[in-house]
Amino acid sequence: MRMKLKLKTVFLLYFVVSLLGLFYALMQLGQHCDCTDQLLLKDRTVSQLRRELQKLQEAFRKPSESEKLSKNPSLPTIYVVTPTYARLVQKAELTRLSLTLLHVPRLHWIVVEDSPQPTPLVRDLLAVSGLAYTHLHVPTPKDMKLQEKDPTWLKPRGVEQRNEAMRWLREMAAAAAVEQAVVYFADDDNTYSLKVFEEMRFTQRVSVWPVGLVGGMRYEGPVVENGKVVRFHTGWRPSRPFPIDMAGFAVSLRLVVAHPGARFDRSAQIGFLESSLLQGLVTMKELEPKADMCTKILVWHTRTEKPKIKREEIMQKQGMGSDLNVEV
Amino acid sequence: MVRRRDILTIVLVILPWMLLISIWHQRTVTHLLPNQKDDRRHILQESVCGFKHMETFSTQYVSSRHLPRSDVLPVIYIITPTYTRPVQKAELTRQVSTFLHVPNLHWILVEDSPKRTALVSELLLKSGLNCTHLSTETPHSYKPRGPSRDSHIPRGTMQRNLALKWLRETFQQNSQQQGVVYFADDDNTYSLELFEEIRATHKVSVWPVAFVGGLRYESPKINVFGKVYGWKTVFDPHRPFAIDMAGFAINLQLILSKPQAYFRFRGVKGGYQESSLLRELVTLQDLEPKAANCTKVLVWHTRTEKPVLVNEGKKGFTDPNIEI
Repeated sequence: MRMKLKLKTVFLLYFVVSLLGLFYALMQLGQHCDCTDQLLLKDRTVSQLRRELQKLQEAFRKPSESEKLSKNPSLPTIYVVTPTYARLVQKAELTRLSLTLLHVPRLHWIVVEDSPQPTPLVRDLLAVSGLAYTHLHVPTPKDMKLQEKDPTWLKPRGVEQRNEAMRWLREMAAAAAVEQAVVYFADDDNTYSLKVFEEMRFTQRVSVWPVGLVGGMRYEGPVVENGKVVRFHTGWRPSRPFPIDMAGFAVSLRLVVAHPGARFDRSAQIGFLESSLLQGLVTMKELEPKADMCTKILVWHTRTEKPKIKREEIMQKQGMGSDLNVEV
Repeated sequence: MVRRRDILTIVLVILPWMLLISIWHQRTVTHLLPNQKDDRRHILQESVCGFKHMETFSTQYVSSRHLPRSDVLPVIYIITPTYTRPVQKAELTRQVSTFLHVPNLHWILVEDSPKRTALVSELLLKSGLNCTHLSTETPHSYKPRGPSRDSHIPRGTMQRNLALKWLRETFQQNSQQQGVVYFADDDNTYSLELFEEIRATHKVSVWPVAFVGGLRYESPKINVFGKVYGWKTVFDPHRPFAIDMAGFAINLQLILSKPQAYFRFRGVKGGYQESSLLRELVTLQDLEPKAANCTKVLVWHTRTEKPVLVNEGKKGFTDPNIEI
């Protein structure tokens, strides 16, 4: 028999169901509600975050060890001079160098561009680096510049730029009292351990140490006997006055200031660039050996490959090159 | 007329029931979420280079920054395969300088070697980083012979797979610890901004990489909805994932939830290595574009020149005891 759907029946049904539902809800009141787990988790995360925030705030208020050292006036400043020029890997090189330098307290980075004016790429990079810096620029004369197909050893690089940095340092020293400070010529493609900066910090005149992967050898460096440098261990032209790589020595600022004529000589023979500066400043006997009497390698003369962008060139010819607004 | 009334009653009956059932259904689903009470703390057994070493070395390296460890920030697990060659120590040194700036980072360094070498062990110990040091040797038959003679023998594959295996053995799925995995080769250059982009990865995130594929940079193609729909590359853009190893990061939970996903190394064409892993984990639609919708370059595929050691001669000119 088919039951007729009367509204009366429907309402009766609703009434019964609601009553049952009410009973069910009443029963649930006494039970432990599972949803509190979710709330507990949120509360826990919030309190964890609050605790961390407190810790971080306290940490910021207390100066970190390296910050204390940075403010310590008795710690000599290291002036790192980096000549640089525009090429594909420039931003990458400067980025990873800046991340290394950022660990060193009381360091001032002098970046000198081979350019008639400062470029936005370097300017912006330095601004966000977190380092104390000076941004200089001086173009290499056209006839002295390496051409695309020239081998890298054909003409000396970075000469005008390093000399410009020394000019700025002398000017700065003349304006303010020269405290103990040291100057280091750090190219943007080498690799530096943090220890090398601590080794050079207390240089009195010129300090030296070995450099890895240079001169066609695993490393090149001074040979030390009785605490003095007696000769240099190198496989190439050992008769040079100072057969040492740019990354293998540091000069005290006082010495740079005391010899206003001392500079890198652009007309020097290949491999003699370092000597052209050092022979005007110091003799071999006066050199201060570092890095455990020159037995540890703390800096490497790494070189970065030129990226192969043949496909880019093809695309550019077709008018489909990559977006040049995207800085690489 | 009776019919219309019937229909009305039926609607009146069914509608509220549908509402009730849908509400109930939602509640029951939330109850079924994995039980968060399982809060087992995993102990990192192989990390010889623990954070506590930082104190002893902060006097030697005046510059070490003590980064407070966070319990809430997801950990970035960096997997780096490495092999012995003259520039190895230099490459790893500058990697360390970069990683020291990144909080909550765990470095998994895997050597292509039968045993862990002293050079790398010491370097890791002195670094002050949280790390795990593993090693596995690529069988000779798979090692690249000569300069790119066989470009489809992928380098570092076995080492990356070992790191993935270690992660799966060390961590439980659905644990509270959030993490992201990134494959970082030892000769690339990374900006600090990249790591913060990586950290916010839910499944797999992607971004442009400079100097790969013969271009200034390679990048995913993003549509107006902010989703990846293709690859802006010249070299084989029809690969499932035409992206470099340095151009993506994977959420740790995703790695743990798919324990069969590894890099393939037999029969993998050049450039398809990344795809061999990613296609087991994710589809194109699931990719999360980073670096301002893939318009900024935050990582560069730099390569270091092989140093020319001509002056060493046959017998070696320099003292072999001095480590470079």
